Amino acid sequence: MARTRPTEVRELGEAEAIRRAQQGDAEAFERLYRLHNRRVYALCLRMVGNTAEAEDLTQEAFLQLFRKIATFRGESAFSTWLHRLAVNVVLMRLRKKTLAETSLDEATEPDEDAGGPRKDIGGPDLRLSGSVDRVNLERAVEQLPPGYRSIFVLHDVQGYEHNEIAVIMNCSIGNSKSQLHKARMRLRELLQEFERSRAREERQAAKGGSSGGH
Amino acid sequence: MSPLECAQFERMLEQQPDAPLSAGAVAHLEDCVDCQSLWSDMEAIRTAGMEWGSDEIEPPEYLWASLRRQLESEGLIRERTARRGWLLVWFGTAPRWAMAGASISLLLIAAMLAAYHVSEPKSAAVLPMRLSISAVRPQVAVADIGKALEGDVKDVFNSLPEGNPVLASSLRENLGIVDNLIAVCEESVREQPDDPISRDYLYGAYQQKAVLLATATDRSALEGQ
Repeated sequence: MARTRPTEVRELGEAEAIRRAQQGDAEAFERLYRLHNRRVYALCLRMVGNTAEAEDLTQEAFLQLFRKIATFRGESAFSTWLHRLAVNVVLMRLRKKTLAETSLDEATEPDEDAGGPRKDIGGPDLRLSGSVDRVNLERAVEQLPPGYRSIFVLHDVQGYEHNEIAVIMNCSIGNSKSQLHKARMRLRELLQEFERSRAREERQAAKGGSSGGH
Repeated sequence: MSPLECAQFERMLEQQPDAPLSAGAVAHLEDCVDCQSLWSDMEAIRTAGMEWGSDEIEPPEYLWASLRRQLESEGLIRERTARRGWLLVWFGTAPRWAMAGASISLLLIAAMLAAYHVSEPKSAAVLPMRLSISAVRPQVAVADIGKALEGDVKDVFNSLPEGNPVLASSLRENLGIVDNLIAVCEESVREQPDDPISRDYLYGAYQQKAVLLATATDRSALEGQ
């Protein structure tokens, strides 16, 4: 259902909204939230793959933004500032979880014997046919280790450059590129596995159908 | 330039995953089916990621209500605004024309309610719902009322006369206002499920929606005569 938006809030420009939010104006806070909430929420959701956690992180990102808004002087674009802040909020959460659950190395480079990225190159039967189904991509991204998922979402989905990712994730540009490649390789494996499962199920269904006909 | 080996090709991809292919790499791809497959898959994944990124996802409406409460509790929102109370704050953000429309609707509702005491209602389909909310309020699950009303919204819109877009537009606008109020009240109930005042506000909001739907149904019935 379409929701009405307050006229005053809708017409307020970003620069004016920032100035008024710095003075504690409630409508200005809402304007800034409405301008950026979808991109911030999408970023959080893609990086954590969980709606409840994404909502929590979105709220935390905006809360931190509004707490610091008085210090914003306009040296960088407001959206850049906000999205970097949101990424940091998500990464902080992921780091806490990673530290609690596994080592940092495991977070980006799973054991190859345990289903991690392999160095072999897939044959023609494993090819993704030049296109990737959106649902399968989302499923595969959810299954990536947190480090790979962050790099892939930041670069390929959110459009960050490697130099920006290097600053955000406190790593070298070369490391960002290498991790991105490994993330894509792992995604390829997952997507190929989905394709194999689907083909297996289709074969079984066809087999069941033909045997059921006799 | 001599063609690359497969391992060199993959190392090149790892070091420069998005750079244009070198002449050596292109020559290698022409002869190597496996690396063609790898390159094609990497491109497909990259493209799918970009397409996925162009989708914007709307967070749930209660997120703003929750965030706003947090901002108020921390004193980040100007005190003058915070002192007005959440209901006045909410109404204060609505546009004037919408408030005028809502006021007219409330007057219509009051008139309709008064009329119900002296005449038979025309909207037999909506009346039981209204009675069920006020009569058995303590027993009815909050979520069930919300679902029932959503179903009624569809029915009411389907019953509106096609030749009167103004009525549909007015109903849509007023429903938007009431839905915002419901979202705020639902969030409040979620946070304080045992608070009778929060629940009363929510029931009141649902009741406003039910009355709004009843009014629209009556209006469309009158126009249909």
